[in-house]
Amino acid sequence: MKAPAGQVAVAAGVTLLGVLILWGSFYLPTGGGYAQVGPGVVPRGVGVLTIVLGAFLLREAFTGGFRGVDEEAEVHLPMDWPSFGWVSGGIIAYGLVIEHLGFIVSSTILFVMVARGFNSRRWLMNAVTGVVLAAIVFAIFNYGLGLTLPTGVFGKVL
Amino acid sequence: MDVWAQLMQGFAVALTMQNLMWCLVGCMLGTAVGVLPGVGPAVTVALLLPITTKVDASGALIMFAGIYYGAMYGGSTTSILLNTPGESATIVTAMEGNEMAKRGRAGPALATSAIGSFFAGTIATIGLTFLSPLVVELGLKFGPPEYFALMVLAFTTVSAVLGESTLRGLVSLFLGLAIGLVGIDNQTGQARFAFGVPQLLDGIEVVTVAVGLFAVGETLYFAAKLNQVNEKLESIKGSIWMKAEDWKRSIGPWIRGTLIGFPFGTIPAGGAEIPTFLSYAIEKKLTKHPEEFGKGAIEGVAGPEAANNSSSTGTMVPLLTLGLPTSATAAILLSAFQQYGLQPGPLLFESNSALVWGLIASFYIGNVMLLVLNLPLVGLWVKLLQIPRPQLYAGILVFATMGVYGMRQSPFDVFLLYAIGLLGFLMRRYGFPTAPVIVGMILGPLAEEQMRRSLSISQGSWSIFVTHGISAVLLGITVAVLLLPLIAKLFRRRQPAG
Repeated sequence: MKAPAGQVAVAAGVTLLGVLILWGSFYLPTGGGYAQVGPGVVPRGVGVLTIVLGAFLLREAFTGGFRGVDEEAEVHLPMDWPSFGWVSGGIIAYGLVIEHLGFIVSSTILFVMVARGFNSRRWLMNAVTGVVLAAIVFAIFNYGLGLTLPTGVFGKVL
Repeated sequence: MDVWAQLMQGFAVALTMQNLMWCLVGCMLGTAVGVLPGVGPAVTVALLLPITTKVDASGALIMFAGIYYGAMYGGSTTSILLNTPGESATIVTAMEGNEMAKRGRAGPALATSAIGSFFAGTIATIGLTFLSPLVVELGLKFGPPEYFALMVLAFTTVSAVLGESTLRGLVSLFLGLAIGLVGIDNQTGQARFAFGVPQLLDGIEVVTVAVGLFAVGETLYFAAKLNQVNEKLESIKGSIWMKAEDWKRSIGPWIRGTLIGFPFGTIPAGGAEIPTFLSYAIEKKLTKHPEEFGKGAIEGVAGPEAANNSSSTGTMVPLLTLGLPTSATAAILLSAFQQYGLQPGPLLFESNSALVWGLIASFYIGNVMLLVLNLPLVGLWVKLLQIPRPQLYAGILVFATMGVYGMRQSPFDVFLLYAIGLLGFLMRRYGFPTAPVIVGMILGPLAEEQMRRSLSISQGSWSIFVTHGISAVLLGITVAVLLLPLIAKLFRRRQPAG
């Protein structure tokens, strides 16, 4: 049987992460201090063990796939890339505009895009819902919990 | 001071107007997020961590705890009425409970699960009350090597025993440990894995990781994979009260479920899944109506529901007495304690006895509140299930991004949140459990501290972990937990035909 490519990639990713941790730990001292155990000791251990785990994952991926993961069932649940894209885009857009447009506008954009990701095309209704929800959340967290949220373009109005 | 005096002192704390209010808020929020798919107690507590700067420790912790066990009550409502379980611990409830609802018996199913949860929660709180002082006695004898060994055991059981794959559980754990390494080493001030990014010097916040894995990851997965799956919401027809026969058939399962769940929560193995499956299997064996199993047997709801509630209360024993979190939410509760500069453990029972006992006392009160919230008022929560999915998930993400961005007003955190969300998506897709990540990132730094402290006692000799009796035994158990399944597998392979 052919090894599932996704699983091989995941297993390789875990192994690579271990290599990176180990490599990074070489820049950290291992001795010194009362403990005689420096800040580099634990990262070394974590790095080595992550590589070992990654190797075991690779072996599973090549010998019949991850145990208990049903790749057959996954075939019946194909990736809905447009939906995935709308949700991803919403969060990334939020990160890009939050400092310029403020919390309420950014949240509304996020709300509309995520709802679109779940196939809701009632743009106007979603925008209104988004504004109302964002305003309520803003009030609770800004005044109630003392988080400082940016007001952006509405700052002058509020 | 004996237990009674301390418990009374606790009730004096928990019964103040203010703390009663926090308890009620926690129970209501907990029920709500338990009912709602796509958001759970871990995310909710994480998003509310900022209130620790505004509210006193007892109020905030009472509320957080309320969210934790309240979600267990709410989760069962969703499992019964919707054919997709809200939390992993309610999968079994979903099997029998949903069948009951389909046959017009949603009312009794909800009732037996709410009353069973109340029964189990209360008995487990009594267990917590009387067991904690004993564990504290034991914990006071522990030094750094014993704590380190105990944490290693907790790591192993949380990641290796639970879930379907030891290997993937361990990978999740090490992801968490790696995340926990990022930031300034608190013993030497050395920056680790910050890559010159100033935002990483403070370490990665548990809020970002919990919200990323659970809220963002879950939303991405649902949007990309499960959007096409149909859900059918059952309605509650007829009375929600149970008939005499329902009572008769529920009492046994409640008692057995409670007795199975509590120890599972208490030993640092955590997780409410295994006891629910065990309870289900036992009820199926003992029942006088085996033909009903799979078609809506009330025993199959009553037992597992009691088991998951008593085990979630049970996880409070290692958390409060030893500072060992054994579930994602417990780990976030631990970080809530840390926000106040408190470290749960035997010393907390001495230095902050009013706080700890106030928290324990609030469990008794919270369970009564939850019984009322979930039985006569269940209709209210069912309305939450009618929120259409697009708006529900969009709303969850508004809360998620706001909480993460609001921490320090940095767009960097939003992008980090998305990256962790992608990780969560991959983990869900390839069957990696997420709870070990949270436990690893919070317990990891504590374990490292205990390890380095031990080695400074022994002047750098690693033998300290095996020359100390308790520590050696704990590490021995850890090795056994990891290796026994492997050995058993080899054995089976050698004798193919039996």
